[in-house]
Amino acid sequence: MSADRVLFDEPGPAGRRRIRIATGLTLLVLAGVVVLAVKQFSDHGQLTAERWTPFGQLSYVHFLWVGLQGTLIAAAVAALISVPAGALFGLMRISVHRPVRWVAGVYVELFRAVPLLLLIYAFLLGLPRFGINLPIFWKLVVPIAIVNTAVLAEVVRAGIGAVDKGQSEAGEAIGLRRGQVLRLIVLPQALRLLVPTLVTQLTTVLKDTTLGYVVSYPELMKQGNNLTVYTHLLIQTFLIIAVVYVLINFALSQLAHALDRRLARRRVTGGDAGAAGGALPADAVGDRVAPVGQLS
Amino acid sequence: MTSHLLRRTGPAAAAAALVTVALAGCGGSSGTPQPPGAAASSSGSGGSSYDAIVLGGPKADSAAISASAWAQAVQKQGYLRRGGTDTGPLFSLKDPATGKVTGFDAGLSQMLAHYITGKTDVANLEKLTITTVDTRETLLQNHSVDTVIATYTITPARAQKVDFAGPYYESGDAIMVKADNNSIKSVDDLHGKTVATESNSTAALALQKKVPDAKVTLFQTDPECVAAVQQGRVDAYVLDQGILVSDASTNNQVKVVGQPFTQEPYGIGLPKDQPDAKKFVNDFLQKIYADGSWAKLWKATIGTIVKGDAPQPPTIGSAPGS
Amino acid sequence: MDVVLSHFGYLLGGFLVTVELTVLGYVGALVLGTVLAVFRVGPITPLRVVGTVYVEFFRNIPLLALLILFVFGLPDVGLTFSLFSSAAICLALTGAAYVCESVRSGINAVPVGQAEAARAIGLSFSKVLRLVVLPQAFRTMVPPLVNVFIGMALGSSLAAAIGVAELTNRTQQLNLEYAQAVASFLVAGAFYVAMAFLGAGGGRWLERRTGRAVGGRR
Repeated sequence: MSADRVLFDEPGPAGRRRIRIATGLTLLVLAGVVVLAVKQFSDHGQLTAERWTPFGQLSYVHFLWVGLQGTLIAAAVAALISVPAGALFGLMRISVHRPVRWVAGVYVELFRAVPLLLLIYAFLLGLPRFGINLPIFWKLVVPIAIVNTAVLAEVVRAGIGAVDKGQSEAGEAIGLRRGQVLRLIVLPQALRLLVPTLVTQLTTVLKDTTLGYVVSYPELMKQGNNLTVYTHLLIQTFLIIAVVYVLINFALSQLAHALDRRLARRRVTGGDAGAAGGALPADAVGDRVAPVGQLS
Repeated sequence: MTSHLLRRTGPAAAAAALVTVALAGCGGSSGTPQPPGAAASSSGSGGSSYDAIVLGGPKADSAAISASAWAQAVQKQGYLRRGGTDTGPLFSLKDPATGKVTGFDAGLSQMLAHYITGKTDVANLEKLTITTVDTRETLLQNHSVDTVIATYTITPARAQKVDFAGPYYESGDAIMVKADNNSIKSVDDLHGKTVATESNSTAALALQKKVPDAKVTLFQTDPECVAAVQQGRVDAYVLDQGILVSDASTNNQVKVVGQPFTQEPYGIGLPKDQPDAKKFVNDFLQKIYADGSWAKLWKATIGTIVKGDAPQPPTIGSAPGS
Repeated sequence: MDVVLSHFGYLLGGFLVTVELTVLGYVGALVLGTVLAVFRVGPITPLRVVGTVYVEFFRNIPLLALLILFVFGLPDVGLTFSLFSSAAICLALTGAAYVCESVRSGINAVPVGQAEAARAIGLSFSKVLRLVVLPQAFRTMVPPLVNVFIGMALGSSLAAAIGVAELTNRTQQLNLEYAQAVASFLVAGAFYVAMAFLGAGGGRWLERRTGRAVGGRR
């Protein structure tokens, strides 16, 4: 039972009336805002048929679809690289060997503190001067993977730390070595906590791919750009693209929720059952309470 | 609990509602949907006539090709690898409906490819790699592309790193302002004003040299710059005259003023370590200047916006660095 | 390197713009986010829905798409903001979604007994929130709110794509002319890392100041 339902008593008749009035007023205000927005749009001719029907053309839909494919592929490859790499760095950070810990620590702290766009520009403009010339796809994916590895390393580290200490103590008590404890006892349980977070992190990777716009990689935003240069329908194009992103990310976060519910067997009591998502402490990535890494 | 249900379906329903409301304005029949201004902005995509012009260009004889290792490599490949852009109105613009890139630069590249390979599938004559001001030279130097045709201005400094065939077009930067702006008539009026330009363009560098006290704002694309002028965010927009005129022709809220204030001879970028390429391409240019293909291409692309007959093609080698 | 040093003032100016963007965006996000959190835990259902829709929309939309729509799309419906304001507003709107969730999770982390006891002694909804729940929730909120700050400092770099002359934009402009890519990127990166570390340090200081909740798990 979470606190937010206990903040106010079941309202009595007077309370219910007040709430009904407030609800009615709110609905009026909201309706007014929506009507105003729509009116503004149509007053400026943004709702006319000729601005929207081109998007019904199969060729335009296909053009955007190609962009979406580019986005999904880039996101998938970046995720496929950064998940194992992030797990590796996360484990390195809790290693018993100091130099290993230090190297991983520097990497993670550095790349969690650098903006992705800057890194992409560095790859785009800086590397060629050293003769390193990556195809455009990798100019986008490698920086995303680098940053995401750092972010996921922290997530993995927090996930491992969130597993009840008693588990590893029990493992050691029955004579398992540290590596075995990690492999056989802690990691499987940590994984259960981490999987929803990893899925949620996919939405961040997806949003990161929008920076392909800057390196001319043919992902959804760049296709939208091409479309806009040709048709001059900027609002319509990017509104549709934005909705596509929102829908995909929303689906991913719902998937994460579903996974979270199915995988979590034990919920730590103490009031954080709701939004914090399982037993991860609030400063790790629970229910995407806060962005880990930059807002993208 | 209803609020719980709303929480689940609410967002998705809201998103759908947004789209529905937005689409609500469209109804009834409107015949074939044509995006506004598409007719004028589809410069160069004249369909079959454009293709005919490209394929009507000359074909190299085998002697010329065997004299040039560069040309032989391209012929073996079956297509020309060009570095350029696909969002440049009039010069190199991708039609989202067909996926084809057309325009003056694109047409030149396609003509050159046809010249070497003799193939007739216009859509696959060239393979385009998007380049920017920073990556152009590098991609030529490490042979990731065979040539760069991208409103590439010939300068002696650049000629140190790459070879230039041509020039093939004389251009200059011009100024676009809001239609009711009468205070800016030439580049000298830009002092202290806010000026927009594309972030990877030579116009940005030209502005720095000519009006260093102008406040330059960089945007990623041409429509963004035009929008900035229209919305009053900047006083002026500086870019190649052809592109500005093309934008202004479909937008009555902006206009192009003054004469081009820079000399921008465009050249065909070629790798420096293959001097035979430059001779080969210059011969190609001579041929299309002489047999009228250049003029026909001009008319089909730039000529759809800039009125009048095709100008005389520039003299090859006339620009310092070419 | 000498190029970077001679243009250091230029880069520093960009850094100041970045700081301005971050601070303004963050303050806006805090205010709006808290309001949204109150909406989400309050009794008025339409407001709960508004809060939920807002959070889901602004967490899922890429910041770049939002910026482009805001800067180039809104004027076509009559609303024109300056480039800087647009960037700051978009950052604030996006950050508010995360702040809302942080505040809400902080509220949920406060043991239920606290709110129950507060109700038992007759405090109203707003008093329960203001006097009992929020102060305790604050301690739990600090880490995710610090993350939002750092996220915003880094996310401000996206304003470069719409022409705001902040640090990343200026680094790119510097690069356009001079060949000293490595030096300029390293310096710019150092600025951002400094911001991130300052933010994290500030967060740790705040955590120590507010101590740890008695009813919590630590």
